[in-house]
Amino acid sequence: MLEPGSAAPDFTAPDHLGNTVSLAGLRGKTVVLWFYPKADTPG
Amino acid sequence: MSFDTPAENRAFAEKFGFGYPLLCDVDRTMGVAYGAADSPAAASARRIGVVVGPDGRIRSWEGKVAPATWPQEVLARL
Repeated sequence: MLEPGSAAPDFTAPDHLGNTVSLAGLRGKTVVLWFYPKADTPG
Repeated sequence: MSFDTPAENRAFAEKFGFGYPLLCDVDRTMGVAYGAADSPAAASARRIGVVVGPDGRIRSWEGKVAPATWPQEVLARL
């Protein structure tokens, strides 16, 4: 787990529309990251 | 976000009309760094939920979140 207060690992990844998203580019905003196992599956 | 491809997540987003970006961590780099997977060989991500503050630091990390209720809960906390 990641401890509250520790530096969040930076990342750069494409989104579903092909835009590139990086954590560094979101500095100054609160970011919610939510992982899910597989697109369009129940549960 | 998930380990799916942009095409898979695009179909998912269009089916349900999601109004936020679905990130595609195809090589699992982000999943491993954030604790959603143990290795790049993982088949799928665990349902973790993370909030990063405006300062780039972890505000909360939850190892198992409920998809039906967590989004509303976390947004209410912000």
